[in-house]
Amino acid sequence: METIAAVANGFMALFKAGGETFTAFVTGIIPLIIVLMTAVNSLIKIIGEERFYHVAKKATKYTLTRYTVVPVLAIIFMGSPMCFTFGQFVEEKYKPAFYDAAVSFVHPVTGLFPHANGSELFVYMGIAAGVQALGYELGELAVRYFLVGIVIIFLRGLITEKIYLYLKSRDGRRKTQEAEHV
Amino acid sequence: MYKPVIVRRGSGGWGGPLTLVPTEEKHKIVSITGGGIHPLAVKIADMCGGEAVDGFSHAVPEGEILAVVIDCGGTARCGVYPRKNIMTINVLPVGKSGALARFMTPELYVSDVKEANLDYADESSVQAALLSTEDVDAVHKREDLKRKIDAARAGQKRNIITRIGISIGQIVNKFYAAGRETIDVVIKNILPFMAFVSMILGIINASGIGTVIANTISPVAGTLPGMLVISFICAIPFISPILGPGAVIAQVVGTLVGAQIALGNIPVQYALPALFAIDAQVGADFVPVGLSLGEADPDTIELGVPAVLYSRVITGPLSVLIAYAASIGLY
Repeated sequence: METIAAVANGFMALFKAGGETFTAFVTGIIPLIIVLMTAVNSLIKIIGEERFYHVAKKATKYTLTRYTVVPVLAIIFMGSPMCFTFGQFVEEKYKPAFYDAAVSFVHPVTGLFPHANGSELFVYMGIAAGVQALGYELGELAVRYFLVGIVIIFLRGLITEKIYLYLKSRDGRRKTQEAEHV
Repeated sequence: MYKPVIVRRGSGGWGGPLTLVPTEEKHKIVSITGGGIHPLAVKIADMCGGEAVDGFSHAVPEGEILAVVIDCGGTARCGVYPRKNIMTINVLPVGKSGALARFMTPELYVSDVKEANLDYADESSVQAALLSTEDVDAVHKREDLKRKIDAARAGQKRNIITRIGISIGQIVNKFYAAGRETIDVVIKNILPFMAFVSMILGIINASGIGTVIANTISPVAGTLPGMLVISFICAIPFISPILGPGAVIAQVVGTLVGAQIALGNIPVQYALPALFAIDAQVGADFVPVGLSLGEADPDTIELGVPAVLYSRVITGPLSVLIAYAASIGLY
């Protein structure tokens, strides 16, 4: 009888630890996120997507802004996955690079703007929770994640653009060769 | 020879039944599941006389798609195709969820589908399916009319007090809508994930697996070369699309790394590079979907997928190096 009770206790302990983690998440993370998300969501509704469209469309022409300002704003204003629809304003040959830049920012954005990708918060939050447990403030980590994210999506945009254009030119040659054979 | 097929939901599923009526232009079953064509897509194509296509290696113009087969855990993809009015068959038991949940209707979406849930359609359900497409047109017309009426109303002049009242009302409504949207996301996406992560963390910590992780993985993950290796593995072109969906793996790994940082097994200044090391595969599973959301041509998608995947092999480890440099002075 005692063994059975011990097993039952051990079994419950597995989930008790989980329950405590859950309470910590809900009381520690959720309240801030709810208020922050509501504020940013209201701001976006008041500014309106149309105004953002107007600014961002022009910015797709230049390499520097195409892989920095445009994807960052698209994600903040439209969230994931709707931000990828912004690719329609990007020139055809830059679309894969634009996608790569945009999708690579869906996690760096969550430190400061969790509303943009509410269902994938834990890439950042998981690690941030550990940093917080040691008693450090999260502000600096969130800001650096955001800024380094911008540098990285820019590089990713450039490199993917080059690779895509290379694949495309090679594919073009292959197609002309095939056409000549026929 | 084309035959209409009925797709019903499985025991844990939601939505449907969908009646697929293949035609000469519209007969392709596109499998967007990663790792080749899903057997269900082959089976459906076989039954209806259409063609099963791997959505990752071949891009299909939307007009030719009869239905898509996905294996979405409920974050994004399950809503993308319903939003484009394309019939969507999910092999996983996922209901109306994710960022695009509002587009998922029983007329366009069905989940937990297995081969046993497929059936040939009889004449009456085909008629019903054709009728319901007409209904959709009617709804569009009605919305159009409503918009015209609204526009006409907006054109009328109002006095100042009414205008102030209306604009305050509009702003308050926006705040309220923002609050409702937030609570929706918290309940549908954030809380379920927290429940899942808490369960895993609880079991790992209480069962002693945590100590194993601390002794074996942490020493590797807590060094720059170790993190470069992790990001490289995540970025290998045939692995990255498997690791991607819903960022579930990245999120679980993130939580585990966080737990090790809290215990002091991974130095806290590695938090920033670790964020990039575990995320080299981000969106690698989503390339064709993301590109088609951006209205890319099928040709662009076909070469765009490998371009993104190859690029990650370089930019994955590169991002860790940059983040490592950028974390100097942090904590």
